[in-house]
Amino acid sequence: MLCVKPYNWACKIFVVPFMEMWDLPDIFLQTLWEGLVGGTLYALIALGFVLVFKASGVFNFAQGIMVVFAALSLVGLHAIGVPAFLALALAAIIMLVLAFSVERIVLRPLVNQPDIILFMATFGITFFLIGFGELIFGGDPKVMITKQLYIPTGTISIPFAGGAVELQKLDITAMVVASVMVAVLAIFFSKTRIGRALRAVADSHKAALSVGISLNQIWVIVWFAAGLVALVTGIMWGARSEVSFALEIVALKALPVLILGGFTSIPGAIVGGLIIGIGEKVGEIYWGPLFGRGIESWLAYMIALVFLLFRPQGLFGEKIIERV
Amino acid sequence: MFYREAGQFKTSYRADMTVFPILQDRIGIIAILLIAFIVVPLTSSNFTLHAVMIPFLIFALATIGLNILTGYTGLLSLGTGGFMGVGAYACYKLATVFPEVHILVWVVCSGFVSAAVGILFGLPSLRIKGFYLAVATLASQFFLSWCFIRIPWLVNYNVSNAIEVPRRTLFGVAVTGPEATPQTRYWVVLTIVVIMTWLASNLVRGRIGRMWMAVRDMDIAAELMGIKLLNTKLLAFAVSSFYCGVAGAMLVFLYYGSAEATAFSINQSFAVLSMVIIGGLGSLLGSFLGAALIFMLPILLPRLMATFGLQIQSATAEHISFMIIGALIVFFLIVEPHGLARLWQIAKQKLRVWPYPY
Amino acid sequence: MRAPDDSTIKAGQTLLSVEGVSLSFGGVKAIRNVSFDIKKGEIRAIIGPNGAGKTSMLNVINGFYHPQEGQITFKGVKRKKMRPHDAATGGIARTFQNVALFKSMTTLDNIMAGRTLRMNKNLFWQLLRFGPAEREEIEHRRKVEEIIDFLEIQHIRRVPVGRLPYGLQKRVELGRALAMEPELLLLDEPMAGMNLEEKEDMCRYVIDVNNHYGTTIALIEHDMGVVMDLANRVVVLDYGQKIADGTPDEVKANKAVIDAYLGVAH
Repeated sequence: MLCVKPYNWACKIFVVPFMEMWDLPDIFLQTLWEGLVGGTLYALIALGFVLVFKASGVFNFAQGIMVVFAALSLVGLHAIGVPAFLALALAAIIMLVLAFSVERIVLRPLVNQPDIILFMATFGITFFLIGFGELIFGGDPKVMITKQLYIPTGTISIPFAGGAVELQKLDITAMVVASVMVAVLAIFFSKTRIGRALRAVADSHKAALSVGISLNQIWVIVWFAAGLVALVTGIMWGARSEVSFALEIVALKALPVLILGGFTSIPGAIVGGLIIGIGEKVGEIYWGPLFGRGIESWLAYMIALVFLLFRPQGLFGEKIIERV
Repeated sequence: MFYREAGQFKTSYRADMTVFPILQDRIGIIAILLIAFIVVPLTSSNFTLHAVMIPFLIFALATIGLNILTGYTGLLSLGTGGFMGVGAYACYKLATVFPEVHILVWVVCSGFVSAAVGILFGLPSLRIKGFYLAVATLASQFFLSWCFIRIPWLVNYNVSNAIEVPRRTLFGVAVTGPEATPQTRYWVVLTIVVIMTWLASNLVRGRIGRMWMAVRDMDIAAELMGIKLLNTKLLAFAVSSFYCGVAGAMLVFLYYGSAEATAFSINQSFAVLSMVIIGGLGSLLGSFLGAALIFMLPILLPRLMATFGLQIQSATAEHISFMIIGALIVFFLIVEPHGLARLWQIAKQKLRVWPYPY
Repeated sequence: MRAPDDSTIKAGQTLLSVEGVSLSFGGVKAIRNVSFDIKKGEIRAIIGPNGAGKTSMLNVINGFYHPQEGQITFKGVKRKKMRPHDAATGGIARTFQNVALFKSMTTLDNIMAGRTLRMNKNLFWQLLRFGPAEREEIEHRRKVEEIIDFLEIQHIRRVPVGRLPYGLQKRVELGRALAMEPELLLLDEPMAGMNLEEKEDMCRYVIDVNNHYGTTIALIEHDMGVVMDLANRVVVLDYGQKIADGTPDEVKANKAVIDAYLGVAH
């Protein structure tokens, strides 16, 4: 109505979406909430990345598939009759075994290699886990054992501005769990002896070795921690939708999160996750129809790309001063 | 070694700089070309030609493309699938809008379209490096994938959202479409791949190849020597995307016969990247070896198992292939980061002095 | 549009000068108000304790670092800061403290890379190779072989430089810089980590380059014996400031220099 003909397109992009937000505030709030939830889950995956990178300098491309693998192990164990919480413990142990194997077979021989080599090694691990997971568990999607784990389901409906905002109890649980995990990890890194050692290793393998820090132990601990984070993420995410290998691709969205938040910052992963999650959701709902739906698939990456052009080291990353 | 390589001295720089300085190597490559052009089509079954040789050659070309970008210039890219797709869809649009022009012209021209898109998405590479650039290429991959699905104009408003390849001929012989025989398509693909490999080898041996490798190894030093970083990187993106685009066009027109957007997804990018890593970063020979290994593994595996009396389904073969590929990637990175190509060189070196180990 | 530069500078006149240059990184002041000049055809040594700002100075001349204050005059053109590309096309080449060779490329390829600026056959001819591109490649290969002969590194032509011992790597790096046919050659500790024999070789090369090609040389060096023998003039830096400037004998006797750097002969 306000939109005069020649400026129709500008109006559609810059005015109409905001008016839509204003007109139906309950939907806007709902969108924000959905974005928040999605962002939390991205942040959880990013957290796993940050753990491994902060402590071993390795960019673990396999974090996404670890999420899938952990969830599949849990569901798979339960499917053959193991009680839910025992399955949970066993799944954690499986991740521990994975951590040991990765350290032994992949990381140890590649000590001191340049970062790009280590990254490609995690790329190889990804391939391996995809094949292995499909072989053992089969490729069809599975259902997460939400009830058995006593994760609350159902919705809370909050009336707002003439409509209502629906909050899934599942999502609230996810946020709580995520917050707790983040707090624990942050304390771990800054206050404990092992945490400090981990930071030393991230800076320089050689230096850490020469000071007597046992790289092997550290790597196992870190990858196990990342595995636990992956397990929790897998449970939460699997409960929201389903457990399938498509999750691996969605997990790649953690990369834009890392770009925004930096690769070594835990609070950065959270902030980045929330920005990406909300930005993506709001973009999809309010601008999506203009461009043909489905822009969620690339919006996060474009946001990250634009961001990188202005600040190539990310929000929290350190500016790299190259010395010759 | 099979033949004596010693005693062949070069008396001119020109002779020293050829691709195959050793006479026997030259004979070898001619033999390979003869086998490829004559023996293979005459002795292979239609199935082998269609399901193995043609896609192997096409993927080898795509691997060369990615190798130029990631192996020679050091710019990690996860957008290969997208660039291949640009080539395929460009070729389709050009072929349907200008049906009079010969299809092979469009196959090659689609490379230019792909190169232009590659340059566009390569622009961030001036500011962004390393892993960050990889994420930027993910942006291009997911965006292009979305375009392939969501822009109906690209598929000429086809209801099924897929490309259907129109029939085309070359000198009266059917080249695309259902009538084209595997032999014809094989020859077309082989010719294009051989020519483009030759061009690539000229590039990487000369000034441009050195510029790329300089940027990869130490871009600061390269810049201080007068090499313009942005131009070099953009050229790498352009050439790489050109090769991927042509490979994509051939994939649709000379192999699949039709295509859906899923053929150019992120999984395709992963596949080609693994071919580059295993074959050897920065090696044209490696591109062929890597493509051969990864492409043929799921096909050969069931046959191999069958000889041991074990029957496995093709789906299982794929899963096991993934595991083997992942394990191989890790193995090569530990043992020989320069991949199969380097292993081949080492093997030749050992054979030269065999049976003496030193 | 590049400003025209004065390529007719004769020997003895100022080729490059820095005036009032200051450089800081964050809070660290690497260079404070340093001015000196380099005359065409001379060998100028830059010496001083570690951390004095010598390498940073070379980086400023090269255009890798941009000073916050001051200006650089090269071949008559005054600039607030140098750009790497302008430095390269203007005829400045350098070697680095931590050898900055292209590790995966062979010696030959590394030195050929130094010829890049002078090779201009475009993409089309490069693709084809036969004809102009190949002729260009051969012509430059000839030049590179001259340098290889000069530096006596024929035997390692095809060895990937990452595998070479440190001393040879430094020589290859010198070759790569020479391949640019520079007017001004910046050498950052070219003798570091070498034994006596290697040092003598390198000295010989530096002097030959200066005599034979007329190349102006600025070098950072710690070995005072080398500096005394090689240099026409010396500038001494300490904590980012210039504390002496003159002939080697003048500098050697300078009290400030002795206190900061040389110590007293026993």
